[in-house]
Parts: sequence; C-alpha cells; structure tokens
Amino acid sequence: MIGFFEQAQALLVDLSGPDGLSQLFMSLFPFFLLFELPLNVLVLLGVLRWFARRHSRTPQHSLYQPRVSCIITCYSEGLDVQKTLLSLCEQTYPGHIEMIPVVDGATANQTTLRAVRDFRLNTDLYPRRQLRPIAKWQRGGRVSSLNAGLAHATGEIVMALDGDTSFDNNMVSAMVRHFADPEVPAVAGSLRVRNAWASLSTAVQALEYLLSIHMSKIGLGEWNLVNNVSGAFGAFRRSFLERIGGWDTHTAEDLDLTLRIKSYFGRRPLRIPFEPEAIGHTDAPATLRQFLLQRLRWDGDLFFLYIRKHSHSITPRLLGWPNFLMTLVSGFFFQLVLPFIILSYSLAALFLLPGSTLLLLFVLVYTLYLTITLLFYLAMLVMVSERPRQDLRLALLVPIFPLFMLMMRCWSAVAMLNEALRRGHEETSMAPWWVLKKATKF
Amino acid sequence: MPSSSPRVAILGTAESSLSLSPLDRFGDLSELLAAPAYDVLLLDLPGPLAGQALRSLRLSESYRFSLIYCCRDQDAWCTALGDGTPPVDLGALTPLWRLWKERFALFNRGAAPERFETRVLAWLWLRSRGDIHALRDPQVPQHYRYPLLEALAIDESVNAFVWLQLMTQQGLLEEGELVDRLRLCIDCGSGRLNYVDVCAECHSLDIARQPSLHCFTCGHVAPQEHFLKDGLLLCPNCLSRLRHIGSDYDRPLENYRCRGCQAFFVDAAVEARCLDCGQVHEPEKLRVREVRHFRLAEAGRLRCRQGFVSETSHSEQFGRLNLLGARTFREMLGWQIQIVRRYREPAFSLLGLRFVNLASTLAKLGELSGHALVDSLVERLQEAVRETDRFTRSSEEHLWLLLPNTGAEGLASLRQRLARVAELLKTSEARDIELRMVGFSAPQDLLEQEDGELLLARLAGELA
Repeated sequence: MIGFFEQAQALLVDLSGPDGLSQLFMSLFPFFLLFELPLNVLVLLGVLRWFARRHSRTPQHSLYQPRVSCIITCYSEGLDVQKTLLSLCEQTYPGHIEMIPVVDGATANQTTLRAVRDFRLNTDLYPRRQLRPIAKWQRGGRVSSLNAGLAHATGEIVMALDGDTSFDNNMVSAMVRHFADPEVPAVAGSLRVRNAWASLSTAVQALEYLLSIHMSKIGLGEWNLVNNVSGAFGAFRRSFLERIGGWDTHTAEDLDLTLRIKSYFGRRPLRIPFEPEAIGHTDAPATLRQFLLQRLRWDGDLFFLYIRKHSHSITPRLLGWPNFLMTLVSGFFFQLVLPFIILSYSLAALFLLPGSTLLLLFVLVYTLYLTITLLFYLAMLVMVSERPRQDLRLALLVPIFPLFMLMMRCWSAVAMLNEALRRGHEETSMAPWWVLKKATKF
Repeated sequence: MPSSSPRVAILGTAESSLSLSPLDRFGDLSELLAAPAYDVLLLDLPGPLAGQALRSLRLSESYRFSLIYCCRDQDAWCTALGDGTPPVDLGALTPLWRLWKERFALFNRGAAPERFETRVLAWLWLRSRGDIHALRDPQVPQHYRYPLLEALAIDESVNAFVWLQLMTQQGLLEEGELVDRLRLCIDCGSGRLNYVDVCAECHSLDIARQPSLHCFTCGHVAPQEHFLKDGLLLCPNCLSRLRHIGSDYDRPLENYRCRGCQAFFVDAAVEARCLDCGQVHEPEKLRVREVRHFRLAEAGRLRCRQGFVSETSHSEQFGRLNLLGARTFREMLGWQIQIVRRYREPAFSLLGLRFVNLASTLAKLGELSGHALVDSLVERLQEAVRETDRFTRSSEEHLWLLLPNTGAEGLASLRQRLARVAELLKTSEARDIELRMVGFSAPQDLLEQEDGELLLARLAGELA
C-alpha cells in the first residue's frame, strides 16, 4: 500500500518537474493507437484470407443468371449518364439487364433528361439489355428515386447505382454470383475514383478509396462485417428489399438500409459479402471545399444514424455478437469517439508542449502511420489491385497520406459536432426541404 | 346556242344535307348515262364512290369534258378527274358553265377534239385551273398514275410519262408541283424494288453484322468473340484484361462478315432487286424519275385559243406567228448572240412588245370578242413582220420578236410600222390596252457576258 503511494508520489514529482508534461503525452501516446492496430490486423488478415481463397478457387460456370434491374439515380449528371448506361450495356453478363435511369426533378434537369432520352440502345449489339427510363418531374430526393425504380423493377436482383458512376464490364457477373447463396440479401461493390488526377484532393481520395475503403471492406467482408453497402453502388435481392420496405427517407439511406438488413443477422445466418472485382468508377469532389462539405455530410450522417436513428437497434440480439461488437468498436469508438480524442490530444499538444517535444512526438506518430500506410499500400498493390500499373502512380501520395488521415480525423470531429449541435443532417442536398420537413424526426 | 342556263343533274342515292331538290337526281350511274346528256353534274357521293363514278363518266363520250363537281369529301381520284367542290350558291354555276361553253365552241367549230393530245389540252383549257394530277397507286408498278390521261386516252395506249415529257419539251404543258422522285428498274420500269445489303465480294445475301473491339493497350482490332474468354474480355494479342469501355477498349467499327465467303468488310454493297422482273441493279444505275403535276403552258393555252385549226402542229412552230416555245426561242437568241460575238456579223435585233392590260381587257370583252381582238392584233403583226422573224410569248402580255439580219435601221422602221398597230388599239373598244415597245440591236447594244436569258430579263425590266 505504502509502496503504491510512494510510486504515485514519485510519478507526480516527475510530472511536476520540467519535462513532466512531455512525459505524460509520451506515455499516453500509444494507448489509443493500440485500439487501431487490432482492427488493422483484422483487416489485413481478412485480405490475406481473401487472396488465398481467390487463388485456390476452381473456376466454375454458374447457370445462375437471374434478371438484373439497375436503378440509376440521376440528378444533374448531364451527359455522364450515357457513360453509365453504355458501361452497363457492355457488361459481359450473359443474362438480362434492365436499366432504369430515374431522373429526379426532370423538369429542372432537362440536360440529364435529354441525355437519357438520346441514349439509343443498339439491340443488335446488346440483345439482352433493356432501357426503361423514368422521369420524376417533381424533385423528391434520392430515396424517392430508388423506391420509384424499385416499384418498376422486374429483376430478381436490384442494383442501386449512381448516375455519375460507370462500371467495369464484369461488374454484374461478379456481383450476381453471390446471390446464388440464398442467405445473401445484399452485396457491396467497390468504388474507384474516376477523376483521380484532376487535383491533389481527388488524387488523395483515390488512394483513400483504395486503402481505407477497398482494402478494409475486403478484410471486413471476409469476416462478414461489412459496415456499409454504398449508395452509389450496391446490389440487393429484390424480395428481401421489398420485405423490409425499400429505402427509408432521411439522409444516409445506404447506411440505414445496411443497418436494417443487419438487424436480421441475429436471427438468420445472413451474409453481406463485399465484391472487390466489381468496380465502379465515380467522380470524387474536385475542390477541397466540395470534399470537406461531402465529408461533413458523411461523418455527420454517421452520428445521426448511430446515435439518433438506430441507437435502439444496435443490440447483440438483433445484430448478432460479431456485428454488434464490430459496430461498437468501429462504428462508435473509431468513428464517433476517436476523432474527439485525437483532436483534443493534438490541440493540447500543440498548445502545451515545447517545440522540440512536439516535433519528436509528431515524427513518432507520423512514422507509425506511414508504416501502416506503406504496409497497406504494398498489400493492395500485390494482392488486391486489378490495375497495378495505374495504382503505382499513387505511391507518390503515400507520404502525405498519414497527414491527410489526421486532417480527416479532426474534420470528422467537427462534422460530429455539426450534427450533434446543429442537426446537420437536415441540411442534406439528397432530398428537397419539403420532403425532409415531413420525415420522422429523430 | 342553247339556253342561257345549264341543265344540272345530281348523282347520288342518299338524301344528303344538300337542298338540291329542284334538280334532277339519279341514284344510279347507268340511269344517268341512259338519260340525255346534262351540262353540269353534281356528285353527291362519298369520296371513293365519287371517284369511281368520275372515272366512268370521263370515259363516256357525253361527259368527257363536262363540268363535274363533287359535293362531299374528295379523294385523290376526285381531285384528278373532277372540278372540285361546287360553288356554295348554285347560281354561280351559270357563268362558269358559260365560259366553258364559249371555250368549247372554239374547237373545230364546236366539235369535240379528236386527237389524244388535243383532247388533253382542251380538257385543261376548258376549266380555268385544270391540271394533270399525279395519283399515288400502289397497284401500279410505277407507283404513280395520271387518271386524266388514262381516261382521255380512250383506246390509244399512251405512255403517260413519255408523252408528258414530250409535251413539256414542245412547250404546251409546263411542270407543276414536284410530287415525288422515284427510282425505277432499268429493265422493266417497275418501281417495286427491294434494296438489300450484300457481301461486297461475292454478293451473297447471307451476311451478318459483327461487332469488333479495339484494345487500347496494344491496338489490336478483332471481332468480339476473339476477345471473350469465360465471360471476361481478354485481348487475344497482348492478353491484357479489358475492363471498362472508353478506358481499356472501344468499339471502333461494326463490320460485316459474309457467311458464304468469310469476307470481312466495313460497308456492305447495296443492290436493288426488282420484285417484278427479278433483275438486280446497282442503285445508282436505276432510272430516276420525277413525278409532277402538270398544267397548261402559255403556248398550250394559245393553241387552244386558236382551236387547233392549223393542224401543222407536228413541228414546234405553230400558229400563224411562227410562235416558238420559250426555251427554243431563248436557245435561238443565244445562238444569234454567240454568232455576233464571234464574227461581229450578221447584225440582229430583238423587239419586245408588251400589251399592258391585255388579260383584263380580254376578260372584260368575253371569250368571243376577246379572241377576235387577239386575232386582229396577230394579223396586223403578221403584216408588219417578215417570214424569217421568230416570235415567242413569255407571258400573256409579253411578245418577243427575233429579227435576224436586221440592224438598228431595220428595227426602227419595224417600230414605225408597229406603231400603227397601236393606233388600231386606240380606235377599237380595247382602249385600255397600252402597247409598250423595247428594241435591241446586236452587236452595238450587246453587253459583256450577257446570254439570251439575261437579255430577255433586262428588256422585260424596261417594259415594266
């Protein structure tokens, strides 16, 4: 007892000494990093498992060729919609593909509507593709477009796609093969940045999509822990989607839907696989301002969804223990709590520490993150990338990537505060105000 | 001359909304034909029936040239063979019929014209706005027919298109609205052609479109099936995966492959196969024919006015004035100009006459005295000019004289003589008619680069 007291006293003396504060920061430094390491290990192990599985897989010809309906939500994409439609026509999938471009607010978005109307489907060249456009004259938001498309869809599989996203030609066959397993209600697809070299901001995002989204989804998908089926690119079994009532209004309808599907995981052995071979190419925000606004929305939506809308459904009874723990750790801790810890730690360090210690600390943290980034980047290049030559150029950005991540963590805290204090989700551009006003408040 | 108002009959069974009760009504065509001929007929039948009835009526001798109106809707046959809808007030029929009667009396002293050509011209001239109407008919191999010519041909077999071309060349008819352009088989003249794309090399019909891909990595271009391997697109040349259209590959062309000779070609050859005679032709070698409506030309009208009396009409020059068709006159004038340009001689002159208000005066005088006036004018002109001079009329009012071997002095003396014609006009009832003249003598008045057409236009401008 006395020993402990003396030890504590000694520590306090140390701390009150000239270098005390520095020591405190130094000793605190590894703690929160320790949380991140296991997750990274989990992801890397998943990637390894996926890689091994893929290479030992015997190629098989599946006779499972259901009709696929692609709902393409269009707003102000203009001629880009035609790129999306053409890339769907070009699919090597031997079954039928029904393309349903839904133009939201068609009265105002005449160029997009004209682009859809002008698209001529060459039935000689693409005999198993159908085009069934829908013009929603009055703007109703993304959710209304998706549900309108769902009402008209006739395929067994329904895909929710963005009008500014085009796809590799093996996308549909890669996605569809998972649905041969009746326990798969949804499959997540992977997105790449189409305009990677448009600006520094898009280039860094291209790397982020590969390392933080693509890699981590492969890893998590292996353990059936996919956190989100992206709204710009996801596939669903139509019967399941109709059973759970389609998409729900509010912002972040993709995460909402994923969580609602996952609420059945506790009852049935369902699976949401991630398909790394199904690749969509989308435009990332080109300016820093647009990018920050997008992330303000995304990260704020996380808070809105986890804390306000779905806090009651995050229980092991609904999600099953693995997904419950994963949501707790990655959803709550990493995405909601950690940003605040990092932000306050960084601010405190910035104001309290002497320059030399700050520099040392910074170098240490940077080195650690750089190591992790490099490891992920190499793993991505060797095991995952289907376009290694193209992705090699992104190596230039690896050194600044840890800084970018730090910035994003801090910005994430701002986004969370924006949602918590200002109900930022109500300012979304995904639906018009007259729709949001009527939506159930959380 | 019979009574001053026409005898009008109605053909039509149903009681229609028309209140035509005081007129004779026939329910049946044969009854009408059996009855003594009427002057004017009204067809109170629906369009297709009216068309059929018109066809039979135009074939019968009594109603070949008569005024026949369709009271109800008009189909294409009615337009081609009838006189349109009747005037709302049936009283207005009388002056129309009188004009018809006066004009009809001019032919061969009241007898109906006998030759096919004169029959057609007469039919057109008897109605103020008559035209030869082309009618689309899928039954005919040439797709179009001229019902009027068929009806007036009686027993002669006439190739309508050739005949119309001839009449246009002679200046009797002029081209009206262009209706269509046909391509016809050069062997049998049928328009029922099937255009098929065939192999460019062996001309086999059995060809198929074959999409090709272009690999961006190595530039390889080959048919799509060479790229497809297990549902993936792999370049057979460089083995790279083609994932996304526009960034890895594109479809540069859509080629054809012949299933017979395996030839690979970009553009298929096109053949026109005649469905009637079975011959195969290259599309550009097909006979192109323009289908038009035709109407009476100035020369044709003049000839009708003269009542086809001088039947020396085989040659292009007809009438006592050696009147030429406008085109022939222009060509002759052009030739004279060319000669003068080259050899500076012989001199020639051109005289333009304009009878201002001629048409309105003729209308005021009525057919008979109007024509008497024109006849006396023509006689005076004939006295004034020489046998070698040539005339043409570019419109009702414009008369052109080409005087070969005549210099400025000769022209002046002719103008003096013609001035006496003008005096004749002042004394008679035609004092509204004003005679204007313009003269031209080559080579002194000739302008650089001016040809016959430009010269006539310039002089006509001076007459205005």
